[in-house]
Amino acid sequence: MRRYPVATPFRHGSCRRSFTTPREGASMSEAGHARFGPEPLPASAESAPSARVAISLRSDRGFLNLRLNPRDGQAVEAAERILGQSMPQAANTFTNDGHEVYWLGPDEWLIATVAERAAALGGELAEALSGFHAAVNDVSGGFVELLVRGADARTVLAKGCTLDLHPREFAPGQCVQTGLGRAAVLLAAGDPSTCTIVVRRSFSDYVRRWLENAARPHRACISAL
Amino acid sequence: MLLIECPWCGPRAETEFSYGGEAGIERPTDPYALSDEEWADYLFFRRNPRGAHRELWNHAQGCRRWFGVERDTVSYRIEKSYRLSGAGSGRPAAAHIEASEEKRR
Ligand SMILES: [Zn+2]
Repeated sequence: MRRYPVATPFRHGSCRRSFTTPREGASMSEAGHARFGPEPLPASAESAPSARVAISLRSDRGFLNLRLNPRDGQAVEAAERILGQSMPQAANTFTNDGHEVYWLGPDEWLIATVAERAAALGGELAEALSGFHAAVNDVSGGFVELLVRGADARTVLAKGCTLDLHPREFAPGQCVQTGLGRAAVLLAAGDPSTCTIVVRRSFSDYVRRWLENAARPHRACISAL
Repeated sequence: MLLIECPWCGPRAETEFSYGGEAGIERPTDPYALSDEEWADYLFFRRNPRGAHRELWNHAQGCRRWFGVERDTVSYRIEKSYRLSGAGSGRPAAAHIEASEEKRR
């Protein structure tokens, strides 16, 4: 009878520390999103004014996933009353009036807000929508927001994206879920020289490194916000 | 690379999608009434035609919705893509459920 080798049991401390695990010495008083976020971006030699592209991490963001039937006018109204702004009904657009509300699908939105407000806002939304066929989930722990700014911001992103990112096609107020490099991301167009990337936390380190590499020929300024 | 039109997001690169196989396969309402051969046919056998083919695609890196596509398996030409019935399709979910209930009777 043939004997098969038994897999070596996992030894604690034998693997390299990844960017998504809590940093050593992080105090419990730090907010969860800060403790579990990627490590601060290494400061680059390039100073902000001369940089053609600036990449920064927004570690102060909280995220809510909202699902409801867009044809249920009362549910939309109830959600919009709590948000204090309209929800985008057109595909691949977002509204920005206090929070960012991104269209994710015909019955799904992502709300980006100040991290400290996310839990309370989620509670208020859930209460207002309790009588409707709707779902509110706090997904703050699952996403990271990166900001790519500067004259070459879109040129850098275009290196890893199949979409036409020219401001004529990807105008302010539009957002797309697409691939950047090998990761799935949400791209949002602020003004012609600003793009927001919302990416799953587990992919954030990859995307950050991909951006650093893609931005290198553009006198990149990399900083943490 | 195929350029596939998502019914919600518009034309996108094939790499954003995942393939879901032949469309329009209905689950038998009473599996126990079927012979093993008929059940295996439902589970495993697909038409695999040369020419026009109705298939399912999922916009995996985009809006994550399933939709239908009519594609020619020889020329790879996509004739049309369309929303499936049900929630989020532009057709009320309740009507969809009623329609399938109707069919069952
Ligand atoms: Zn789509």
